[in-house]
Amino acid sequence: MRYAETRMNDTDVIQPLNGRPPYEPGDADAFYAHVGTGGKVEADDWMTDDYRAAVLKFVEMHANSELMGVLPERDWIMRAPTLRRKLALTSKIQDEVGHAQLLYRVAEDLGKPRATMLADLLAGKTKFHNVFHYPTRSWADVGIIAWLVDAAAIVSQQALRDSSYAPYARTMRKICWEESVHVMHGRDVVLTMMSGTDAQRAMVQEALDRWWGPLMQMHGPPTDPAKDKDLHWGIKAKGNEQLRQEFLSIYVPRIREIGLRIPDPALRLDETTARWVYTEPDWDELRSVVTGHGPASQSRLEFRRVNYAATQWVRDAIMGNAAAA
Amino acid sequence: MSDLQPALAQALAELLLATADDEFVIGFWDSEWTGIAPMIEEDVATSSIAQDEIGHARALYEMLATLTDADADAIAFGRESDAYRHASLLNHPCRDWAFSVARRYLYETADAVRLAALAGSAHEPLAQLAAKMRREETYHLLHVDAWLRRLAEGAPDGRQRLAAALSELWPDAQDVFAPLAGEAALVAERVLPESMPALRAAWLSRVRPILEPIAGALPDVAPSPNGRTRRTEDFAWLHGEFTLVARSQAGATW
Repeated sequence: MRYAETRMNDTDVIQPLNGRPPYEPGDADAFYAHVGTGGKVEADDWMTDDYRAAVLKFVEMHANSELMGVLPERDWIMRAPTLRRKLALTSKIQDEVGHAQLLYRVAEDLGKPRATMLADLLAGKTKFHNVFHYPTRSWADVGIIAWLVDAAAIVSQQALRDSSYAPYARTMRKICWEESVHVMHGRDVVLTMMSGTDAQRAMVQEALDRWWGPLMQMHGPPTDPAKDKDLHWGIKAKGNEQLRQEFLSIYVPRIREIGLRIPDPALRLDETTARWVYTEPDWDELRSVVTGHGPASQSRLEFRRVNYAATQWVRDAIMGNAAAA
Repeated sequence: MSDLQPALAQALAELLLATADDEFVIGFWDSEWTGIAPMIEEDVATSSIAQDEIGHARALYEMLATLTDADADAIAFGRESDAYRHASLLNHPCRDWAFSVARRYLYETADAVRLAALAGSAHEPLAQLAAKMRREETYHLLHVDAWLRRLAEGAPDGRQRLAAALSELWPDAQDVFAPLAGEAALVAERVLPESMPALRAAWLSRVRPILEPIAGALPDVAPSPNGRTRRTEDFAWLHGEFTLVARSQAGATW
């Protein structure tokens, strides 16, 4: 008798801590009913191939984004202007790499080896978030990225703490806490510059002007909830437009409060609907950027490819792959 | 601190500056691996080590700032490149992983010997700080020791790279123990409980038995008289980077 058959019929078998899910392995309808009503899925629970593929794609893109998100800030580790900023930025970027590590582990458990994920990223086969396809130009970018890009990310990530895929949800709880520290660091960088010289204030405004478009695109175009399977299956808990509205509700007042001007004359809160109205983000730009045609997409991937190739001998030496050569 | 004689205070300032600059500069070079280390786990580890080093540099610069009535950031970021006092071992960028492991091994072991001495300093604040730094540096040593062995015992390619880097860096590594201005006074007052030559002897007896089986016979080269003043194009580049924002606007705070 095969092990799987034994286990199915044996009530004495040791159960995982979370208990057996309330659906029979192989019953796709019951599975979708479970995740569609707030049920959770563990890595070793049975799941449909479509669900597994959708979670993997979602988590892999998130992991890629954390890893690629290191590069825009990386140059500024060397240029941080005080000891305190240097420590904070080094720590922030270490967190991002740590998040990539945690997320790749979640993805690995879904069946795709890390080496394959890295190879696909380098080959441009998989995506990473739009904001990491743009160059950084000044120290003010460090502040705007840590404050607003991370804040926009937190809005998404907080919703992901309720993801139907439980290992991802748990990982998000840790990540959200660290991201909130980044936001404080970013806000402090921005506030210090806004309290400084006219030239410093102009630097921050120029950075915001450049980053606002990508920030508005970051959560993606509004989707039809009925057709958004990530939403339907509870992989993510909130729709794109809802996330953008939440971001605007919290951050538009904070951005204005410190004397910055948001570069969208149409941006306003519609009091009757309690929704933010804004100039339609450039969705063509978003599509173009995330498919590798952003201003820094190829240079960042090439930088990573060159360095990955240059360190291949280390991985070979450790894995013993080169021993036979 | 005010109870120190001026000559001794000046000698202590030299010691603090040399040690702080060592930690500051290696903390910068370590960050070269951020985002591109051979493995994600090593990326996290290298960033963590870099933070420790910069944290140590900050504590030492602050002690120096108190001693000389200056500002720690101004000391760290406000000097011309020829005024830095790190050992020539730290003039080099990280280059490849074997070079980084070799340099880090040479530096961490030398730093460990120096810190062990400073933990017994008659200057109590320095003794306390050194004791605190040693606790973190212990982990750096374990980390780099594991990598040294891994490369030495791994594939021939890694072993050759490591051996070449150790041989190349060996003369510069001696400069961690380059003589300091006012060293005699520091040793006499036990602010530095042992002389640099004595510390170097202790270091050599510790690392030679480990490194010579990897790199072959390592020559007996004395520290260079300009071991803490010799600067390179690589350091000039690094200095240009880390002062870029700090110097961009006079009087601005960041």
